[in-house]
Amino acid sequence: MESMAHGSSEKIVSTRVICLVIMLTSINLALNYVMIGIPNVKLMDLIVFLSGYLMGLVPGILVGVLTWLVYGTLNPFGFNLIILAATCSSETIYAVFGWLLKKLNIGSDIITLLDINGRKFWFTSLKFGLIGFLATSIYDLITNIASVVIVGLSPIMAIISGVWFALIHEVSNFAFFFFGCIPLITALKKVLPEKEVIEL
Amino acid sequence: MSGKSNWMWVSIGLLCLLIAAIYLATYYYSESVYFRSLYEGAVSDLKKLTMKVNILIDYGNGTQTWYNGTSVPRETNVLMATRIVALVKGTEYPGMGTFVDSINSVRNEGGKYWMWYIWNPDKRNWELGPVASDKYVLREGDTIMWRYEIPSF
Repeated sequence: MESMAHGSSEKIVSTRVICLVIMLTSINLALNYVMIGIPNVKLMDLIVFLSGYLMGLVPGILVGVLTWLVYGTLNPFGFNLIILAATCSSETIYAVFGWLLKKLNIGSDIITLLDINGRKFWFTSLKFGLIGFLATSIYDLITNIASVVIVGLSPIMAIISGVWFALIHEVSNFAFFFFGCIPLITALKKVLPEKEVIEL
Repeated sequence: MSGKSNWMWVSIGLLCLLIAAIYLATYYYSESVYFRSLYEGAVSDLKKLTMKVNILIDYGNGTQTWYNGTSVPRETNVLMATRIVALVKGTEYPGMGTFVDSINSVRNEGGKYWMWYIWNPDKRNWELGPVASDKYVLREGDTIMWRYEIPSF
């Protein structure tokens, strides 16, 4: 297996992981631009979460930050450095949650979609959905606070004005995480064998 | 899966519900504040367009009904104000005004008619309406009475 850093006993990032980071970033960007007409409904958060879950903390953060660096700069709604900083940093929450869930072995027992008839499958999906909801609410809170700095609204007004956007974001992410996590984890595990999943 | 882990996930689920509930509560509270301010603005505007008068309907049989603090449009007349609180039927005589035939289905008959009076706060007595009820323009705080009686004239 190729690796980026030789000479040391600790492997940093494998070539395959770097390829996956770039590929998932590209998928994220494509999905973001395709779904740009649907406010706050994005599959990107799920992809970043899965990156953190499958590849580890740093690759997960890389997928999130790289996506936002492109999407936040080349955005039809305009560019704002504070928003970009807030979204870049808060997107890492999904990678952190993914990494933590992997550490907690949530969903690690689901090997194939053949388990779909099992109660455990849906229970694990529910866990992923709840984590998606929770991570999104933290993300929305941070980005709302960032908008406070830009627009000059009071924090409460910022939250009130963004309530529906936040709820749409959280509920859609709940659904995406609920239905998307296990199928994508089982699919990506085939691309990224367990032995190459780095632990940082 | 251990019982402790189950409770952790139940707690996370409840936390998610709490977040959604907080969002909705905050939103609906802000909406209620907004609509309350709209309502108060509308009431304030309405107060500028209306005035309060007191209306007494005396059926002549001991039954008296007060309609105190009735909101009526400014520059309204006695007949219009009465129509706000009671069912009034009348006949219009061009140049003279409207002659009230009945109030709340109590018709003029047997020599009894509906007569209207206005309270004179200086003299502290009821004064017979000087003109037809639809010709007299009310002012803020006026008190009027309709009495079913045999006219004294």
